Amino acid sequence: MKRINFLGLALLMAVAVLPGCKKVFDIKPQDQLDVTNAYQNVYDADAAVVGIYGKFMALADRYVILNELRGDLLNYTNNANEALRQISTHTVAAGNPYASPRPFYELIINCNDALEHFQVMVREKRMTEDEFNQRYSDVGSLRSFLFLQLGIHFGEIPYVTSSLTNIDAVKNASNFPRLSFPVLLDSLIRFTEALPYKELYPAGTNLNISVDGYPTQKFYINKKVILGDLHLWKGNFTKAAEWYRQVMETGTQGVANGNYYSQYKLGWDSNGDVDHYITYSRAGDASTLVTNTQWRIMFEQAFGTSGFDREWVWALPFDSKFKPDNSLIKLFSPIGGDYLVKPSNEIFNLWDSETQRVAQGGSIPYDARKLLSTSTIGGQPVAMKYLYNYLNYNTLAPASLLTKNGKWFLFRQTHLHMRFAEAANRAGKHLLSWGFLNNGIAGAYPAPTSDVTLFHNTLWEPYPFNFDGRNSGSSGVPFYRSDWYRNIGVRARANLNNITVPASDSLLTIESALITETALENAFEGTRWPDLLRVALRRNDPSFLADKIYNKLQKDGTGDAAAVRSKLMNPANWYLPFNW
Amino acid sequence: MKSRIWMIACALMTAGIFGSGCKKTIDDQTAVTDPSLTKNLMALISEKADLSTFAGYLKQTGYDAVIASSRTYTVFAPGNAELATLDAAIKNDPVKLKLFIGNHIATQVYSTKDVTSTTRILMANGKYLSMKGTAIGSAVITTTDQYAANGLLQQVNKMLPALDNCWDFVAGSQSPAKQKAFMLSLFRNVFDATNAVVIGVNPVTGDPVYQAGTDSIFTNLFWNKVHDLRDEKKQFTLFMLEDAAWDAEQARFAPYYVTNTADSNKLVTGWNVLRDFAVDTLYEPGSIPDTILSKSGTKLPVERSAIVNTIRTSNGIVYIMNRINIQPASKLKTILIQGENYNGTSHDRRGNTYFRDRYNPVTGMDYKDVNVFNHGVALFNIRYQVEEVPSIKYKAYWVAVNDFQTASFNQRLAPGIATATTLPYIAVPANNFNEVYLGEFTMAQYQAIYNFYLVAANSTTAAVNPLVCDYIKLVPSL
Repeated sequence: MKRINFLGLALLMAVAVLPGCKKVFDIKPQDQLDVTNAYQNVYDADAAVVGIYGKFMALADRYVILNELRGDLLNYTNNANEALRQISTHTVAAGNPYASPRPFYELIINCNDALEHFQVMVREKRMTEDEFNQRYSDVGSLRSFLFLQLGIHFGEIPYVTSSLTNIDAVKNASNFPRLSFPVLLDSLIRFTEALPYKELYPAGTNLNISVDGYPTQKFYINKKVILGDLHLWKGNFTKAAEWYRQVMETGTQGVANGNYYSQYKLGWDSNGDVDHYITYSRAGDASTLVTNTQWRIMFEQAFGTSGFDREWVWALPFDSKFKPDNSLIKLFSPIGGDYLVKPSNEIFNLWDSETQRVAQGGSIPYDARKLLSTSTIGGQPVAMKYLYNYLNYNTLAPASLLTKNGKWFLFRQTHLHMRFAEAANRAGKHLLSWGFLNNGIAGAYPAPTSDVTLFHNTLWEPYPFNFDGRNSGSSGVPFYRSDWYRNIGVRARANLNNITVPASDSLLTIESALITETALENAFEGTRWPDLLRVALRRNDPSFLADKIYNKLQKDGTGDAAAVRSKLMNPANWYLPFNW
Repeated sequence: MKSRIWMIACALMTAGIFGSGCKKTIDDQTAVTDPSLTKNLMALISEKADLSTFAGYLKQTGYDAVIASSRTYTVFAPGNAELATLDAAIKNDPVKLKLFIGNHIATQVYSTKDVTSTTRILMANGKYLSMKGTAIGSAVITTTDQYAANGLLQQVNKMLPALDNCWDFVAGSQSPAKQKAFMLSLFRNVFDATNAVVIGVNPVTGDPVYQAGTDSIFTNLFWNKVHDLRDEKKQFTLFMLEDAAWDAEQARFAPYYVTNTADSNKLVTGWNVLRDFAVDTLYEPGSIPDTILSKSGTKLPVERSAIVNTIRTSNGIVYIMNRINIQPASKLKTILIQGENYNGTSHDRRGNTYFRDRYNPVTGMDYKDVNVFNHGVALFNIRYQVEEVPSIKYKAYWVAVNDFQTASFNQRLAPGIATATTLPYIAVPANNFNEVYLGEFTMAQYQAIYNFYLVAANSTTAAVNPLVCDYIKLVPSL
């Protein structure tokens, strides 16, 4: 009896509910903005840009995992789950969440949606041409950055430039043909070069202001850097160098002050908070390494300080005052986090194989950036760069356990100089490249006498390779203080000796040294795998990449190093399967 | 609107149908049907005729209420036949009986199926027993894993007597007299404010003033400096020498610990002989190796033929020996002084002191050293404090790397006082990364604390009077 009753009721319910549904539920939400009303004026456009960057920040841990854990400087800890172990040991199985391109495409489709609406808005005069140019170019460049990341990690990918309502359509190869990496680069270069605006948001616009105490200028992608990167990947070395050079000259305007000479120029300013040297308060006494200013402080100092502004090109803040939560503390920190990744033995070996400049008799037999990039907490090695706004350097304790502030570092002047040098080296300007790597322009072109007129410069070179680093000193005649006179080179800044180059092979020696130097200087900052991949592709030399991954796995005793090496000797295995 | 009312009505009606129908089914599925689970451990034991003696003791000691409580236990119950042989001395002493019965109750659930590797399990009397599968202590579980509402009952084929621990044995009547007397002589009053009563505050220093007698604890040096043999959680192997062997050992080592008085010589010698006699690893008689490394790194040779007696304790094992032939070369250690770890300098010259990180091409290793340069003081010295230096002859060496100037300079190692000329000035030439022999010196007496000085040349000239030292090595020369 019960059963019959129940069946009857179920039928009745179905009949009763179905015709009612549409009317009942088709009500416009009252506390959320409907898509049809989202893009009314420039403030709505600004909100869209901020929203896209907010969502972009959710990719921070994924960015670090893909770009560093696949490389040789970072490895997983005992706390890491199977998915992270697979990424690190290049044995990714289906369903690995970190190997899914979906989060990138979700954001790309958001970008596409914003770009389409921006075009409608400018057509319908809801924002001015200038406002359109700035915002359209920003979102477009970020989209190119995302596509470049996808190309680096997945090889052949669909180039989706329209907004979709269903993300899963991307997966269907018949909807969107997949472009090979070189073709993708061509498409990205064509699109990004055509963007109407390449500068930063001008001061006074709503997107270049101060919010929650953070000046927002460095939040947005530097369009010239991504253009430089695209050309560098493609092998257009002079073109890449031109774009990088424009960024390097960012400070070269207005009054010739400290910023003029040192922003993005790797120039000194006689101020530890700006210079970012590796230095000792008494040279030769290893116990006097300067830690509360100089090199380490660049990771701790606040947005808007001159040291930060002159070093960093692109960075985003994590703050307990706003979302998203700091995923990098979760990834790196044993205190207040899960401690899922740690520095590999390989990066320690790289640091330990350097020697510092002679002081008090001999050389300190390691690169001191080791001591400032990592720490030992509870007996375990910890990559510290992302944690300096959370853990106090001296006590290794958080000021407040739940106040998980930090930064997502994306690009700084050493990346810029190393990539410019990489392009210059391939363009045949080996000595100039060597100078940026070692002890600067004046170091590469030293003057035999106090008259520096014909030295300290490369003014005979065409743009973008014509630098003027002339510095006559206080007594030299004629007197020179040229734009690049303070440039000191990446290795000199880190108190390291110059790399010597055999006369027979400067091209490959310098190129390899540039990549190694980026590892020493920018370890864990999310560029190692792309650096290895780019050079391996350019040289058509899989061993350049495979040997380094082999070293990491072998020295850490993780994974089957030999099998991974032979796997990576086939370039087809450099990319993750495109699937989610 | 109409459709909404319908929906609500339907929802209410279906809820009613489910509500009335479900209750019974769930009850049926979750009801306790196993009769064992309705009884607690005490009830289960009381039911078994063979465990009636054990049940009687449980009631006598008050453990019956414990194992009838809602916490979980494992009870290892010997049968009436086994308990019949229980010593009357235990049976008639309520304290001993409680200790004995408590040794049969574990405070967690241990199933023979789950304990597959040797596990130390905590018993209700605070002692530990080793369990693996059906083996518990020296007994075997015959009827396994009988469950009750609050734990497991394991019936065993032997009693599980509550043994003394290692320290109880030492302090007891069966241990060799002389070593026992020495170990018991090591009790000292040691400052410990944990239970101190504060009766005031020192107006000058602001430190608390403690009531006399409450600010210290009476403790044994052996517990603090070697191993606390009372600790039931760990397992120890302790060696005790018979009286004749103990005396012989004292006589053998006395010359290495010469002091001003016979009493202090006896104390220091005794202590140094004794300190290597306990390790915190359990070595079974069948598998004890011929050499054991003590806590202080001394090689302790174990001749099986010299084992006179073997006593099992609740936290390990004690071997009574008639000979332990420890080699002086193993007991008397090389002293290594790291140059950068100094205790003082004759003048404050931190501004001229460099702690240097360097690479040594001879050893292929990185090292850290100390270098004092341009300090401007004739006979400037660095002081190193070393503890417990025996009265023997030492050969001295150092590694001192002069990589900061091409000129050679002199420095000296001075034992005892900075002006001692026991060892000569030794030249430190440029870039010598090897160990350099400095000479020999003899310690006339054992020193509890002794200073060594690294002394600069008698000059105020920077190039003449630097000091540099990676390490100083003092090797016993016997």
